[in-house]
Amino acid sequence: MRASRVLTLVVSLVLASGAAFADKVSITLLNTKGEIQAPLESAAAAFNAENPGITLEIQPVQVGQSPFQVISSLYAAGNAPALYMGDANDMMQFSDKFANLKGEKWIKDSTDNFEQVTTISGAVIGFPLTVEGYGMIYNKAVLAKAGVDPAKIHATKDLEAAFKKVEASGAGALVIAPMDWSLGSHFIGISYSLAAKNQTGLMKLVDDLKAGKVELSKQKPFVGLLDTFDVMKQHNVRKADALAVTYDDCPALIGPGKVGFYFQGNWTWPQVSGFATDQDGFGFIPVPVSNVSSDKGNNGIPVGITKYIAIDKTQNSAAQQAAAKKFLEWLVYSKSGQSALVNDCNIIPAFKNITLQPKDPLAKSIRQYMSKDATLFWVNMPAPDHWSKVGASMQKYLVDKIDRAGLYKEIQDYWKALK
Amino acid sequence: MSVSIRRATGSVAKYAVLILVLAAYLLPFVLVLLNSLKTDPEVVASPLAWPSVLRFDNYVSAFEKMRFMSAIGNSFLITLLSVCLISLLSAMCAYFLVRNKSRFSTALYLVMVAAMIIPFQAIMIPLLKVYGAIGMLNSPWSLIFMYIGFGAPFAVFLFHGFIKGISLELEEAATIDGCGRYGVFFKVVLPLLQPVVMTVVILDALWIWNDYLLPSLVLMAKQHRTLPLSTFYFFSTYTVNYGRLLASLIMTVIPVIVLYLFSQRFIIKGITAGAIK
Amino acid sequence: MQYRHGAGRKIGTFMMFAGPATLVFAVVMVLPFLYGILLTFTDWDGKAVQLSFVGLANYATVFGDAAFWSSMLLTLRFAAFTVVLTNVVAFLLAFALSSGLKGSSFFRAGFFTPNLIGGIVLGFVWQFVFSRVLPVLGKLIGSGALSTSWLGDPGRAFWAMVIVTVWQYSGYMMVIYIAGLTSVPPELLEAASIEGAGGWAKLRRIILPLLVPSIIICVFLTIQRSFMVYDLNLALTGGGPYKSTVLVSMNVYQTAFLSQQYGPGQAQAFFLFLIVAAVSIAQVYFGKKREVEL
Repeated sequence: MRASRVLTLVVSLVLASGAAFADKVSITLLNTKGEIQAPLESAAAAFNAENPGITLEIQPVQVGQSPFQVISSLYAAGNAPALYMGDANDMMQFSDKFANLKGEKWIKDSTDNFEQVTTISGAVIGFPLTVEGYGMIYNKAVLAKAGVDPAKIHATKDLEAAFKKVEASGAGALVIAPMDWSLGSHFIGISYSLAAKNQTGLMKLVDDLKAGKVELSKQKPFVGLLDTFDVMKQHNVRKADALAVTYDDCPALIGPGKVGFYFQGNWTWPQVSGFATDQDGFGFIPVPVSNVSSDKGNNGIPVGITKYIAIDKTQNSAAQQAAAKKFLEWLVYSKSGQSALVNDCNIIPAFKNITLQPKDPLAKSIRQYMSKDATLFWVNMPAPDHWSKVGASMQKYLVDKIDRAGLYKEIQDYWKALK
Repeated sequence: MSVSIRRATGSVAKYAVLILVLAAYLLPFVLVLLNSLKTDPEVVASPLAWPSVLRFDNYVSAFEKMRFMSAIGNSFLITLLSVCLISLLSAMCAYFLVRNKSRFSTALYLVMVAAMIIPFQAIMIPLLKVYGAIGMLNSPWSLIFMYIGFGAPFAVFLFHGFIKGISLELEEAATIDGCGRYGVFFKVVLPLLQPVVMTVVILDALWIWNDYLLPSLVLMAKQHRTLPLSTFYFFSTYTVNYGRLLASLIMTVIPVIVLYLFSQRFIIKGITAGAIK
Repeated sequence: MQYRHGAGRKIGTFMMFAGPATLVFAVVMVLPFLYGILLTFTDWDGKAVQLSFVGLANYATVFGDAAFWSSMLLTLRFAAFTVVLTNVVAFLLAFALSSGLKGSSFFRAGFFTPNLIGGIVLGFVWQFVFSRVLPVLGKLIGSGALSTSWLGDPGRAFWAMVIVTVWQYSGYMMVIYIAGLTSVPPELLEAASIEGAGGWAKLRRIILPLLVPSIIICVFLTIQRSFMVYDLNLALTGGGPYKSTVLVSMNVYQTAFLSQQYGPGQAQAFFLFLIVAAVSIAQVYFGKKREVEL
């Protein structure tokens, strides 16, 4: 009798373990945000530990590879990852391959109206991963010493005055990061955002640009922003070799207060923090686009969802898709997931239920703008090489290789050449 | 001035110039080495200076992050197998093409030589599409297979020229002695091909060991990464971990340098032999 | 193999000897190449499953693509300088090292080392040198030209690429030239000396003509490498500043993968192939004509 009991126990154990092994699902997440590769891997390890039937692996994108190329190759190879991290345009491009996440728990808990961008024919295909924002970062100590109140800067002439005061106090006014993605996507994105006002407006603007119907010299947001850019160029502490400045040079200047201002997004916090003497002494102000203080562009900064995660339905089994959905839920609802997202990856979450928030000053500044509803619509440029080509044009303008009229023409020509 | 003194000063001048030029050639390596021993901020701040403290933690950190042992193992396996297969198969092919004169042989040879000019970019996309469709991507074996295809033209070209110079009598003698086709090739011809084999082996080994683009397209999984691929772990989307990157560069280069120092004579001899034939 | 045997045996021999290499070559290079040409006549966008024929539309796009032709022109310019400079430097080094100087093998080994590193690693190393090291050096010695990064303006970025490419390949070509030089029969040179020929005349009349085969090979190899350069381009300048140093291989990659226009990208790659083939064949043809038989 006891023997048969033991036997039953053993058999059921074997069956149970067999079932457990049979349930071991292996999924991959393609990470296109290089700076969070390491914390994502730890998050995956934590998730795997809590979910023994699932093995999640994080796959990075190599340098020199475009995320589009990688995901296309993976799909072509029959190796598509279960979870794909992409921006809104990527979501649209591959929408037919992604699962409908309409019924997921976290939809009701999400902030922002991300659905507008990632809902295709009623199907929700993107999980909002990161809220990011950008604007003119300022160093509190430098401004205090120069007698500048950042809250009072709402016009181009205010900014110019601030630059001069900072210079008078002995520091550099600002450093301009000349990278094509910074100028051609983020900076000029402000103009697009104000001109378009929302996603529908953006699509119309793009259509008009492609048809050659838009004269940028008559568009106030563009004219105003570029006027501010002229002021920035004048006071750029690296004016002499503006294009030689690298992404790493800038934190070394704004961090310890060698310059007072720096246009960039909150993703640069880890680098700035490495050089900062005061870990809390930074914030965002809007880049002024006119001399009318009440203008929307002078009072808000672009904030938006920059990365979404989609779940592939064409090359991953139902079990894999379920595991992938579990991971997304884990990020939003489990303590370890939330901690990984916010504390390790330094991400501002897009969910109302997550009370944990990044403690860095830039994220705090963004949340302030969000709470005051002083944000600008985040432009997802529906043209994959805009940042590269218009970025190059902006760079030429930065070093005065072309003049304003030339810049307008290059941007207009870029759109006209697109099919 | 006597001839010998003139010669001596001439030599001294020559030496001086050569040493200067050599220093210029090796300077980048020295700089990478020096800066790999500094912290990231120090690298940015004073790249020319001698490290304030000789720190090896960049190496330790890079070693772990790169999964160095796995990467070097992959690189070694892929390079070794590819190189052996390329040399053997190309030698055999070239031998056939030389000894079996026909319109077909000439045509095939010309096609192969012409293929050397095809830029990788021209085949990259269709290659991925075709191999992706049959599910052959994401495997070191597919990579080796592709290296054979890419390496064959140049190897066949080198072997072809060399084999032409091998006297037929040697082979005829072997045949008379009772050697079959394979015997003739493996016992008589192949040993004579040693200099070219060395050339092919070394050139292809250098190419494959350092290759970045093709593995980045074909190898997706972490455990398959080769050395060049794992070096790029240190490039985030926007920024660079200089200290660890430079350390990883040194670690990638050291195996090659060691191999080079050992086989330097063969390398030079090989290139020489291959070139003038 | 001068056997009398039937076609069956011949095919068998072919399969065993040449079969594997030919097969893999065909499947890895020929097939994709032909398929690539086919793709240039379709509207494939990199991920669609359905394709439709568009005739010569992609080629028309390429013809009208100013960026492509300017990158092609830039590459021609780059190749011209690189080929000439690499070969001149390589020849000079070879000449200096084949005059029986003590320790030549040490120098030879040293000059060859740049070849040991792959293009992309090389590019990043030099990018580090140009953007971080040289400016510091420049400020130290008070040189204006050196104090700002060479990668910051188009002209100097171009020369940075040329310098790095010459640095990388001169050692390799030097080795080939040394081989060529050492195979010049010393008796010829002695005879010339006896007849009163000076160093320069010996160089012009004897050494260079005998060196033609080496020159052909070196020029062929350097042309190849300069036209196809991508890794270095990516790592050193990334095509910048403001796309002024985008060489043609990078243009192909960007058209296909950045702008997501696969058809035109593939068509561009095909143009590149035609131009490189034409240049290489012309070079070898004219070179062979100047070959001197001993």
